[in-house]
Amino acid sequence: MLRHILVTSNMAARGHVQDPNDRRLRPIYDYLDNGNNKMAIQQADKLLKKHKDLHCAKVLKAIGLQRTGKQDEAFSLAQEVATLEPTDDNSLQALTILYREMHRPELVTKLYEAAVKKVPLSEEYHSHLFMAYARVGEYKKMQQAGMALYKTVPKNPYYFWSVMSLVMQAISAQDDKLAQTMFLPLAERMVEKMVKEGKIEAEAEVQLYFMILERLGKYVEALDMVRGPLGEKLTSELQSRENKCMMMYQRLQLWPECNALSYKLLLKNPDEWQFYLSYFDSLFHLMDKSWSPPNEEEHCVEGPVQTTVAEAVKFVVDRMEEEDKKDSRPLRGPYMACLELIHRLRQRGCPDEEELGDPLELMLQFFGKFGDKPSCITDLKIYLHLLPPEQHTQFKNRLGDLVPLGEVGEDGFGFPGDTKVLQRHLCVCQLSRVLGLQHTLDTEGKLCLITELKAHYHYGLQFGKSCLKTELQFSDTYCLMVAHVYIDLWTETGDENMLWQCLGVLEEGLSYSPSNAQFKLLLLLLFCRLGAFQPVVDLYSSLDAKHVQHDTIGYLLTRYAGSLGQFAAASQSYNFSLRFFHSNQKDTSEYIIQAYKYGAFEKIPEFIAFRTRLNQSLHFAQVRTERMLLDLYTEADITSSLEESVKAMGLCPEEDDIPWDNMRDNRDLTVLFSWDPKDRELTEEHRRLSLEEESVWLKVRSLTLRLLASLALLGHAPSPRNSDKTNENGVSAKSSTLQTLLSQLDLTLQTAAQITEKQTQYPFLGPPSSRLASALSSGSCHCQASALQLSLTLQELETTGLDDSSELQTQICNSFKSLIVQLQELLSRCKGEVLEMKDSRLMTQPSLLETLVFFVETVCVVLWVASYSASVLRPLKSSLQKKKKKTKDSSTAMPVVLSGFQEWTGSLQGIVTQALDHVKGQEASLTALKLAALTLGVGHAQTQEECGFTRAAMDKVQTSYLGSLQELGDLLRKRADSLKSLKF
Amino acid sequence: MTTLRAFTCDDLFKFNNINLDPLTETYGIPFYLQYLAHWPEYFIVAEAPGGELMGYIMGKAEGSVAREEWHGHVTALSVAPEFRRLGLAAKLMEMLEEISERKGGFFVDLFVRVSNQVAVNMYKQLGYSVYRTVIEYYSASNGEPDEDAYDMRKALSRDTERKSIIPIPHPVRPEDIE
Repeated sequence: MLRHILVTSNMAARGHVQDPNDRRLRPIYDYLDNGNNKMAIQQADKLLKKHKDLHCAKVLKAIGLQRTGKQDEAFSLAQEVATLEPTDDNSLQALTILYREMHRPELVTKLYEAAVKKVPLSEEYHSHLFMAYARVGEYKKMQQAGMALYKTVPKNPYYFWSVMSLVMQAISAQDDKLAQTMFLPLAERMVEKMVKEGKIEAEAEVQLYFMILERLGKYVEALDMVRGPLGEKLTSELQSRENKCMMMYQRLQLWPECNALSYKLLLKNPDEWQFYLSYFDSLFHLMDKSWSPPNEEEHCVEGPVQTTVAEAVKFVVDRMEEEDKKDSRPLRGPYMACLELIHRLRQRGCPDEEELGDPLELMLQFFGKFGDKPSCITDLKIYLHLLPPEQHTQFKNRLGDLVPLGEVGEDGFGFPGDTKVLQRHLCVCQLSRVLGLQHTLDTEGKLCLITELKAHYHYGLQFGKSCLKTELQFSDTYCLMVAHVYIDLWTETGDENMLWQCLGVLEEGLSYSPSNAQFKLLLLLLFCRLGAFQPVVDLYSSLDAKHVQHDTIGYLLTRYAGSLGQFAAASQSYNFSLRFFHSNQKDTSEYIIQAYKYGAFEKIPEFIAFRTRLNQSLHFAQVRTERMLLDLYTEADITSSLEESVKAMGLCPEEDDIPWDNMRDNRDLTVLFSWDPKDRELTEEHRRLSLEEESVWLKVRSLTLRLLASLALLGHAPSPRNSDKTNENGVSAKSSTLQTLLSQLDLTLQTAAQITEKQTQYPFLGPPSSRLASALSSGSCHCQASALQLSLTLQELETTGLDDSSELQTQICNSFKSLIVQLQELLSRCKGEVLEMKDSRLMTQPSLLETLVFFVETVCVVLWVASYSASVLRPLKSSLQKKKKKTKDSSTAMPVVLSGFQEWTGSLQGIVTQALDHVKGQEASLTALKLAALTLGVGHAQTQEECGFTRAAMDKVQTSYLGSLQELGDLLRKRADSLKSLKF
Repeated sequence: MTTLRAFTCDDLFKFNNINLDPLTETYGIPFYLQYLAHWPEYFIVAEAPGGELMGYIMGKAEGSVAREEWHGHVTALSVAPEFRRLGLAAKLMEMLEEISERKGGFFVDLFVRVSNQVAVNMYKQLGYSVYRTVIEYYSASNGEPDEDAYDMRKALSRDTERKSIIPIPHPVRPEDIE
């Protein structure tokens, strides 16, 4: 990668004659490219001994240093060269790479500013300068650099880079007025000048002109431009001119033109859905305005306009007839358009809908034509509201008549003879679920339905015997629906057997169809709900989710890993996501520059918005916060002190980097298929509530993190360099931060309480609930807050001293006692069996595990406060002892706070021991559980094979619980060790 | 009944139902941005009336005109399981071919796993033929060679003699293709 710099700079600057310096530098480039940084540094040193002024060697050495973690050395070496304002290609490009690796792109601009000054006629340096500005988003300087470039070398792209930079100034302007009255008009004038001079060359330039006019709201001018000679350049994109005209017609509410153009485009392609929508929209607008054509010759520039329902009906009916006549595969568009028209006529209370026919018959007709396509359900779902509820059963039965099943066998079911009939039958099942007909069945009915669907599932597997493992089985959807009905039963009756059987059937499905993502997603969700995170890791990794998917579906992992005590897995899943988010910033800048180079101007604001969307992602903020909290919980005061950990993370309590007001929820909350009826579907309100809940929980977590950072710095021993006075100020500033954060936490917890009162229930397949409700009800949030509050009081004691502070001391001792009570309560909420067998049923209580995690987290916080307490009390105690020695007074009693503290650490020790015993006990009873002793398949018969899958799922849950307990136990043991250091 | 439109960055947040397919690769952001910056017209997505993404095609134009190798290339084509068997892939391919025609390409080409019989047959139906086999073109996530690819081609109208699609009898290695 570095080497090509050398090659290109050679070719550009000196043709084929090789510069001796290049020959000398080559080995260093090679070492760097091969990752051999040490050798690169050595080689550079060797070279520099002989050729002191070979600046590039210095920079290459700096790259080597940077890559071996010697950032400071690298930086000062680079600056040595930079201050000389180099103008040789090798040094400039190597510095550019170095600065980029240092995440200091702003320094590249300085570099080329100097180079351009020294070599003002260099096209290359000017263009590098422009790109350097682009990388840091300096739009005004880009505008100037673009113009300077154009003046040096009058090439069109340079001129338009400058124009685009004006557009970017408009887009980024805080004040829209400035955009509308200054930047955009200036950009417009710049383009107009080129138009007048006949200098427009490229399609990109026309695109940019269009963009400017559009942003200025000059739709008439934009339309004229697209229709005129300039518009002829718009050729790359298919239907580019038509699409742009349509957009302008809609903006300008030129309904006749909109209507006529839609009509024309639909005649050409009767499957283009967007044009049906614009055709209907415009038609009704025209009807509302009682528009009539101005003359008989031509309705408008786009041709004939349709203004009556009768015409629209005829148009749609004609399109359907055309399809009916065709020999080739019919298109769905016209038939869907017919339903859409009925829907719209009905909305308007227009009686003419009857002319199109009865929706029920039309949908049957649609099913007749497209029922064997998997998309049939997605299509018909949109228009089911056209059927009155009393027709639902009739509709389902009539659909059934269109599905020729084979003879009814012993089990009472008839089966499809081929995959097309199978798909039709499936579609009927899906429709009856969407219509709510499955939900109204009683438990017995649902169990019968399960039996029927399972029979169909197993029967259908024969059609997919030759399927590759990357293909789905034709009958997979039956299996998924069985799982959905099981979930209905579980949530309605609370019968956990339904859940176990559900897991079994999905595991079975996966064994026949190993790449079915829906099976994996649902299994993953169910295991998470069961509190069993271990199986989730493999399921998720088999989905092969990557890159942007870490943002859209990563929540499925990160919501549960930590909260279930699988800390190692949690850490890993946070890392996956964080790696993606961190690369975003650098990656996108590179392509913004590419977009300038290729003239894809409309993509530039799009890329910037994309980058912002990722930076403001809720999930990004969550994993960022949770990652640091997790590191503290698992490491601080174990491998290194809290203070060191906080410093290593670069955590600053005053800083809040979460974009609370612009948080973007990028989670894909409909990634799991659902055929639930409309009233059970995920709504916008659900989405809003989920984001609200997650944000408040994030606020609690982020405040906790900042409070811990603040606590760590409170314990920071005054550094000798600082004078006493600043020290004092420093300490009080720190404690006031702590105070501020504590009151913010208090407010947030109040909001949180209001939110959890609502007890929002999301659809099962929708967003998981946040940890907020369980955190509050466990008492962990309040316990942590009181512990942190205590640190403030202790700080006060530190300034007051032991004399004359009896009130303060009593207050502290009360806090000690109260914390013990709170922890004890929290621990008591963890008691119970997370997994047990009762009357040959397997029962789970995953909430116990979640509470235990809250307990452990809270213990960590309390112990950090205890360690801070010790650091405050220790010097007070030793000065007291000194005093005692001096006065030889042994009669005075130990101050309350000191004895209280000793008592406190004793009680803390006791609680941790209790907790460890509890964990041990749980582990023992889990290990003793012999799941093999369970008799499965009682009641509703599961086959031997199904039972096997259910058992396997149960084993996974048991193992996972054990894993969680082990990790929690390990952490508690380490914490118990840290307690020893508190003795004095 | 589909809305065909330019693929935008926001679609990356919505394409899970397409990309969770085992044969559809989810690339890093730079890869998508590179295509969007360089060949935006070649990146088309199909949207269902309910707003679900149905499938997309991603391609580019490359090759030397002088050597009559200027052509359209299909980088990725994928349709979500629930929107298959509607002829959508064919429609998207038709669009890519039309764009390549306008750019004066000589042919359109693509690589496909030799094991992906469904895709190979579909491309054959659309007029593509195997031009050559590329040995170990695909690699597994651990970097190990995984599978061979067919390089399939279809001549465009500029290649009147259909020279570009005359098959090469011997398989080639990935490093030998341009």
